[in-house]
Amino acid sequence: MAAETGVPDARELYDRAACGLLVTAADGTIVVVNDTFCRWIGLARDELVGRRKLQELLTVGARIFHQTHWAPLLQMQGSVAEVKLDLVHAGGEIKPMILNAVSRTTDGVVRHEIAAFGAEDRHRYERELLHARRRAEELHTRSMETQRALVDAQAELDVQRRAAEDRALFAEQMMGVVSHDLRNPLSTIQLSATVLKAQELTPKQRNRVEAILRATARSTRMIADLLDFTQARLGRGLHVDPAEIDPHAVVGQAVDDLRIAYPGRSVVLRTAGTGRAFVDADRLAQLLGNLVSNAIAHGDPEGTVTIASAIDDRALTLTVHNTGAPIPAAQMPALFEPMTRGEAKGEGIGLGLFIVREIARRHGGSVAARSSMAEGTTVEVILPLRAGG
Amino acid sequence: MDVLARNNVRVAGDGATTLVFLHGFGCDQNMWRLLAPSYARRRRVVTLDLVGSGASDLSAYDFDKYSTLQGYADDLIEVVDAIGRGPVVCVGHSVSAMIGMLAGIAAPERFRGHVMVGPSPCYVNDGDYVGGFSRADIDGLLETMESNYLGWSSTMAPAIMGAPSQPELAVELTNSFCRTDPKIAQHFARVTFLSDHRADVPRLAAPTLVVQCHDDLIAPRSVGEFLARTLPQSTLRVIDNVGHCPHLSSPSACASAMDEFLATVGA
Repeated sequence: MAAETGVPDARELYDRAACGLLVTAADGTIVVVNDTFCRWIGLARDELVGRRKLQELLTVGARIFHQTHWAPLLQMQGSVAEVKLDLVHAGGEIKPMILNAVSRTTDGVVRHEIAAFGAEDRHRYERELLHARRRAEELHTRSMETQRALVDAQAELDVQRRAAEDRALFAEQMMGVVSHDLRNPLSTIQLSATVLKAQELTPKQRNRVEAILRATARSTRMIADLLDFTQARLGRGLHVDPAEIDPHAVVGQAVDDLRIAYPGRSVVLRTAGTGRAFVDADRLAQLLGNLVSNAIAHGDPEGTVTIASAIDDRALTLTVHNTGAPIPAAQMPALFEPMTRGEAKGEGIGLGLFIVREIARRHGGSVAARSSMAEGTTVEVILPLRAGG
Repeated sequence: MDVLARNNVRVAGDGATTLVFLHGFGCDQNMWRLLAPSYARRRRVVTLDLVGSGASDLSAYDFDKYSTLQGYADDLIEVVDAIGRGPVVCVGHSVSAMIGMLAGIAAPERFRGHVMVGPSPCYVNDGDYVGGFSRADIDGLLETMESNYLGWSSTMAPAIMGAPSQPELAVELTNSFCRTDPKIAQHFARVTFLSDHRADVPRLAAPTLVVQCHDDLIAPRSVGEFLARTLPQSTLRVIDNVGHCPHLSSPSACASAMDEFLATVGA
């Protein structure tokens, strides 16, 4: 063959090719090998030819792969391409290579012709990619786990919240039932005491009967509060039955009754403006009663309780003021929540202000309180003359 | 579920005896193409792809079910039921020899005998037992597999089959016999090479032929001898072959060992 100028001959091209070139027998025994491959693997030609099988140059892991993938593929399709295997250099170093092979049968003899390409850079890069992918998968798994834990926690929270709601509902229902059923025996006691009082009694007996009547009245009030509270918290809320009234008249009557209830205490009423309002008169009296009994209970016993009832063209504004020690600042934010303020004098069960707020709300109005050492305590209720107006 | 479609079951030939061929770890039922067809002249020959391999239904690959070889053994029993006319002779290569064994223990009435080609009940060395590999070797295999997807890519339909006699054909057909979803291949490799069924070996009552190659890296002779010693009814035949796939590299030696065995079990 006429060689072109400057081009090495075929033998030299083969030996110094830019890849490892081998020919093996069907069982892998090396028959021919080029210099490049010898150099890459660190063994002389005579250490390889006839003495080593290709698979013996592989790591054990790569040998298994060679047996389970490479060999059957080569046998079945006559070639394999782009298989990356780790070879072991004579010095023990791992040399990753990409191998292509063709199986050729000449005169009944099977030979495998193999080209090997060093792949150390590619190998390192692929390791990094694999590592990064594994890391990404781990992160993904972890984030999925976190998400699952979050969902579980949420579900657990829902269960507990529902249980708490059930318990609260049950307690309120119990309270409703109990307070309702207590009214009947109480009215029997009250009726009997009233009948007794009309009879001729010794002063000692009269004292006792009057004590019974006072205690019964207080119990009745507390039960009424409980019923209101239960109603406010359950179902449709506190019941109000508004009608067109003269608020000053209703307030005046209520204040008269309160003066009788609290003899020896100074209760002053101031009114301003005139007009009519669409309000539940009984609830208005109840609201005022609750505020005044609070003012009496918590205010200075020597001081005056001042009630102001003012009507303008929009609203009825009721304020109840007492002197004396202010409400502790810490109690102010939850003042109108049920059973928060200790009603110290045993006058109620902590529902008075809550019911005041509910009555105001049911009329479309609002309630606010302010309290200080210098100014005393003022609770202000604003009710629109017509709800929603 | 259609188990015949799931396992890409192919039936060829006919006869009184049914042989069921199971491929090993790596490729698919094409591994039998130099051996199985000769049996189709007088017998019914069934070949299949294990779920996760070849043209099996990859969507049926349940990582839990196939986390032990028992999952594959259960599949085999279902296939034997579906094709009918048992008992059959199971011919299993490599890991599938153990799959056949587990099926034979679970459903002995369905198997007349077992042919184990290059079997190993445990690949990892353990005390006096020489399986041939250390745990680190198996990790090395898993790493090699990670570097070789063998023509797999998610954009390619796994059903494409190559034209084996024309390797220079389209590049995408290359390596198709061994093409597997990389995740499944990794999992199958782990399950295969970390399995240990030595304790099950004495429980296989049916007659069994162990075809042992004289030089097999994956299933060394000591392993074949262990099996022959431990199986209740066994014949050990050592054939002259280098490598783990004598059904490809020495099909006639395999056939003569098998013929002798089949005659003894009346198949």
